[in-house]
Formats: sequence, C-alpha cells, structure tokens
Amino acid sequence: MMRLFAVGLSHRTAPVELRECVDFSRLGVAEALAALAARGVSREMVVLSTCNRAEIYAVAGPDGPDAIGRFFADYHGIPLARISEHLYVRRGADAARHLYRVAAGLDSLVVGEPQILGQVKAAYATASDNGFTAAVTNRLFHTAFGVGKRVRTETGLSEGAVSVSYAAISLARKIFGDLGGLNVVVLGAGGMAKLTAVHLRSQGVRHVTIASRTFSAAESLARQLTGRAVPWEELDPALAGADIVVTATGANEPVLTRARVYEVMRPRQERPLFIIDIAVPRDVAPDVGDLEQVFLYNIDDLQGIVKENLARRSGELQRAEAIVDEEVARFTGWLQSRDVIPTVVALRERFEAVRRAELARLEPKLAALPPEARERVDEITHLLVQKLLLTPTEQLKAAGDESTVATYADALNRLFRLAEEDAPQVKPRPAKVTPLRRG
Amino acid sequence: MHLVPLFLYACATGAYLAHFARRNPATGRLATGLLGGAILAHTFLIGMQTVEAGHAPLVGTTAALSAFVWLFGLSYMYVELTTDERAMGVLVSALLTVLYVIPALNPGVSPRPEVLRSPLFTFHVTAMLFAYASLALACVIGVTYVLLFKEIKAKHLGFFYARLPSLQVLDSMNGRVITIGWLFLTAGIAIGIVWATQVRPSADPRLQAMHIQDPKILVALVSWCVYSFALFARRAIGLTGRRAAWLSVFAFVIVLLNFVPVGYFLTESHNF
Repeated sequence: MMRLFAVGLSHRTAPVELRECVDFSRLGVAEALAALAARGVSREMVVLSTCNRAEIYAVAGPDGPDAIGRFFADYHGIPLARISEHLYVRRGADAARHLYRVAAGLDSLVVGEPQILGQVKAAYATASDNGFTAAVTNRLFHTAFGVGKRVRTETGLSEGAVSVSYAAISLARKIFGDLGGLNVVVLGAGGMAKLTAVHLRSQGVRHVTIASRTFSAAESLARQLTGRAVPWEELDPALAGADIVVTATGANEPVLTRARVYEVMRPRQERPLFIIDIAVPRDVAPDVGDLEQVFLYNIDDLQGIVKENLARRSGELQRAEAIVDEEVARFTGWLQSRDVIPTVVALRERFEAVRRAELARLEPKLAALPPEARERVDEITHLLVQKLLLTPTEQLKAAGDESTVATYADALNRLFRLAEEDAPQVKPRPAKVTPLRRG
Repeated sequence: MHLVPLFLYACATGAYLAHFARRNPATGRLATGLLGGAILAHTFLIGMQTVEAGHAPLVGTTAALSAFVWLFGLSYMYVELTTDERAMGVLVSALLTVLYVIPALNPGVSPRPEVLRSPLFTFHVTAMLFAYASLALACVIGVTYVLLFKEIKAKHLGFFYARLPSLQVLDSMNGRVITIGWLFLTAGIAIGIVWATQVRPSADPRLQAMHIQDPKILVALVSWCVYSFALFARRAIGLTGRRAAWLSVFAFVIVLLNFVPVGYFLTESHNF
C-alpha cells in the first residue's frame, strides 16, 4: 500500500558539515527530483533543501523510506553509513505533523523565523512544475502553507526581532516607516561599524556617511559601501542631516554628549533622530536620549529587546503547536477517508452486482409486468441496497484511526469476499460514490 | 429602536478591544462587521427620521451629535477599509459609543423652525460635522502616536509597538486629516457667517444672539485658530511629531467641549 512519509536530516540531527554535503540545492532541486524519479521509487515527491535541512516527502510503498535513504547517500556520493544515523523517517500523520511544524517555523533554528515558509513553497512549486505532485502531496503542502500562515497571524511566534541588527532595523522602521530615503551616519570604521552599515545598506537606505578619527579608514569603508567619508571635524553638519546615527568607535569617553546633540537637533526642528550605539564602552551619553525626538538605543537595550522577544516567542509555542495538532487531525481524517474509498467502492459494487443478478434471475417473471411496474421494482431494489449500505459506509468513513480502518476493511473483504472474483457474472453498473468530506 | 445602534456600537467596541488584545483576524472581521452593522442601523434610523420630519435631522445639538457619530463612523470605516489598519478602531468605536449615548436616550426629532429652511443652514451643519469627524480622527491618531512614541522612548517595546503603524505614517496621517478638517471647518464657519447675516433681520432671539460673544461661536473660532496654528506650524516651522500629536488632541478637546457642554448649556444662539 502506498503511504506518505518524509525522510531527511536537519540542524537537530546532523552537524553543519554533513548538512553541507547533502544540500540538494547545490546541483538543483529539479535535477534531484529527476534522479530520484529515475529510480522508480515514487511518483509523488517533494525535495525541501535549505541550509538547515534536507528532506524528501514522498508517497511510496513500504520500501520507500529505505530507498530514499540510499538515494540521499548515492546522490551526494557519501557512504550510507555516514548519514544513516542522522536520517529520520516520519510516516503518515507524523510526516504531516513534521512538515506543518517546519512550515510554521517551529522546527527552525530560530523558532518562528519567517523565511522557511517561502522555502517550503518554493520546494513544492519546483516539484509541482516538474509533475511530481499529486493528490496527497498537493493537499499536504497546501495545508502546510495554511498552517504557516495561521501560526503567523494567530500567534506571536514570528513576532519581534531576535537578533540585534534586526531589532535595530525594526525600530528604524517603526520610527521612519520606509527606510528608502534616509541618511545614515556611521561613526567609526571598524568591523562592527561596517557590519551594521552593510545591513542598513541592504535595507535600502539612501546615503551612508562615514566619519572616523582616522580619515583614511573612513575613506576605505566609504568606498566599500559606496558611501561618503567626512573628516572627524566636519561631523556635526553631517549629523544635522542624518536620520540614523550608528556609533561604533573605540573611544573611552562619550563622543556624542547631550550638549553636542542638542546643538545638532536645534536646526532639525522636530525631525526624529535614531541613534544606535553599539560601542562598548558607550559612545553616546545616556542623557542624550532625553532630548525631544531623539531615540537612543545602546547595545544592551537592543539585546534586552531580543531577549524579550525570544521569551515572548517561546510563550507562543503552545498555541502554535495546538494549531499544528488541529490541522494534523484534519489532514489525517482526509488521508483515512481516502484509504476507505476502495473498500466502499468494492462493497457497493458487490451489492449492486447481487441486485442485478437477482433481477436477471427473475427476468422471466418480471417480463409479464407492465413497464411502469418493472421500473418500480428496479427502483425499490436500488433503494433497498442504498439503505442497507448507508450505515456501514458512514461507520467506515468515521473510523478514527488507521488500524481501525484496516480492521474494518479486512473484515468486509472477508465477509463479502470483496477481493475475489466469484461474483455473479453480471456487469455491474458503475457504483456511484458520494464525494467524501474531510472529517 | 434608538438603542439598536448604541448596542451595536458597544458590541463593536468590545470586539475591537478583543481584536486589539488578541489580534485574531476573525475577531477583527467581526469588529468591522459589527461597526458596519451599527452604522447601517444608524443610517436606517436617520433615514426614518428624515422621512418622518420631512427634512434631514440636523436641528439641535442632539441631532447634530447623532449625525456627527454617523459621519465619524463612516469616515473611519473608509480609512479602515482602504488601509486595512484596525488598530485605531478601539478608540474610534469607544468614542462613537460614548457620544451616541446622548442621541440614543433623546430620540425625538426637533421640528425645524422657519429660519432654518435655508440650504445654507444644511451646508453649514454638514460642513461643521465633517470637520469635527476629521478632527476627531486626528485626535485618535494623535493619541496612538503618543502611545507608540512613549513605548519607543522607554525602550520597552510591546503592546503598541506590535500593533501600530510607524510614527512617520501616523504623523503624516495626522497632518493630512487635520488639513481636511480645517478646510471643512473654514467652509462651515464661512457659510455660517453668510447665513447669519442673511437671517439677522428676523425677530428670533436666537438669531439676535448670533454674535461673536456667543460661547458656541467664540469657541468654534478659537478652535479654528488653534487648527490654523497647527497647520501653519507644521508647514512653516516643522512642528510635527509628539508636540503636533498633543496639539491635535488638545484642539479636539476644545471642539468636543464646544459640541457637548457649550452646545447644551451655554449657547444662546445655537439651541434650536
């Protein structure tokens, strides 16, 4: 019987050296799918490969997981023994739960990070474009996108920045809205200064101005960032035009005192100034933050925000897991209702065949009846069969778990000899199967 | 009958509050739906009053208050539906509920005196109410600005930080809404002056009191001056941010004082 399962490894089970080795995106996910398809393991499969995980979701027979484990090793040219202990296999509902948790960011290194949902979507799109998805994987992934979205909108799991630089960017956005037209002044030309400036640049700020006590250092950093360097003595005019100031000098005394910033703020009227002080010891006197329209955050403040956000995220875990549980139950219900379809169809066909055979047997007697009466007989027998099958069909569909479904199906197969071809040789009318609703 | 919109406004406030606290999208939609329902019920009521009385129910402070609540609700609804931003719904719906208590408890329509049968009167009242609705919105935006500002300054990012748009957006919205409000206020006052000079010869003592010394007119002119200053300061000396937000709150308090206590107890000219 074909079943859904997932095989893979992630940051939870494998070190980074190994994860690098099994990165499917290196050679292209579409190529990996084609290579796996060539092995004939499965016709429904999705390869999810990010820097923190490599997973294959597939619908295949009982030997599927082993075959895919071997594929992991062969495709990347590493011995199976090296990765087998890091590989995990999830089957049926557990596979769905795993994907839902991944899509919701619950299985991520930084819990709640939002990129993973996009990566899951891309993985599905690649598989789908290449024709490797069908009913089960389609539904599995579409529901997973729904879970990711629900967790993001209904819980605070993805809320709040969880790194210092994102915390700073998020603050800047909350103050200025769009960062597009902003001027940034960076004090200092060291590693931290550069890192923050690069980050701000990537967010689309307009001008970056660098000032350092050693002008040549400022110039060289300005060249790298396509920014402008100003001599230390001309700092104040630059500050007057700035929206965001990043300070990261090695000075032992505050570079920006309250009096100095006050003078800078005067001609700016009410235009806000966001000062990010990432230097230790601090570059900006703490009372600068008391000035109207000056927002001062030092490295400890930013780290405090990160800590608060992390604590808040973990508080949301339970709600997120509850959403996952709910959706897994729904998906499993659907999966099982799919499992019972063959049994329901066979049962109906068998009953219909019996009915037709009996009608055929009684044909000589029925022939004497007027056409309307014959039609009535046909209708009554049909209704009788329908009525008899109603309760068993409902019970089958409502069967709670996989083993119950299997037991029922087995019992029905035996009791009505559904699998055997000894039914009366009357061509049964195609049985009508009412569309199944998910539970 | 008049309690139906009140009940719905109150329910909408509850739903907006729940949405603000929990941020469940379904609760947000429910809140919008309830507010929409309240406005619809209110529209129906105003329509009925119009049919009953044969003129728009704009005579007297109570009717004006009802119309103001209705216009304010509509303007907010427009803002919410175009920006998909529900954070201010709590304050707006709470204000609507509180203000609607008065018309809900005094549901009668005052008969329209002969002198008010001029289209100028209708224009005057409508323009003033539009102005007040915009200025109320500016006040709400100002309050949210101050709340967010305080959180960022205090370095304790939490409730409002996660729920409100950026300071910059709030500030520019504030400026825009005040501009619109000021334009209507100016038009409303100008039309009022023209109408008052037209009907001055009438013997009605209320029209004799249509004078700058009447508290209602005086305070309206004061609020016009305050808003003119706010606009001028924003453009000429860059008065934005927290101070501008406080100014819009303070100015609306004057408007509200003029609307309710002055309108009911002090004025001798505007008590139709």
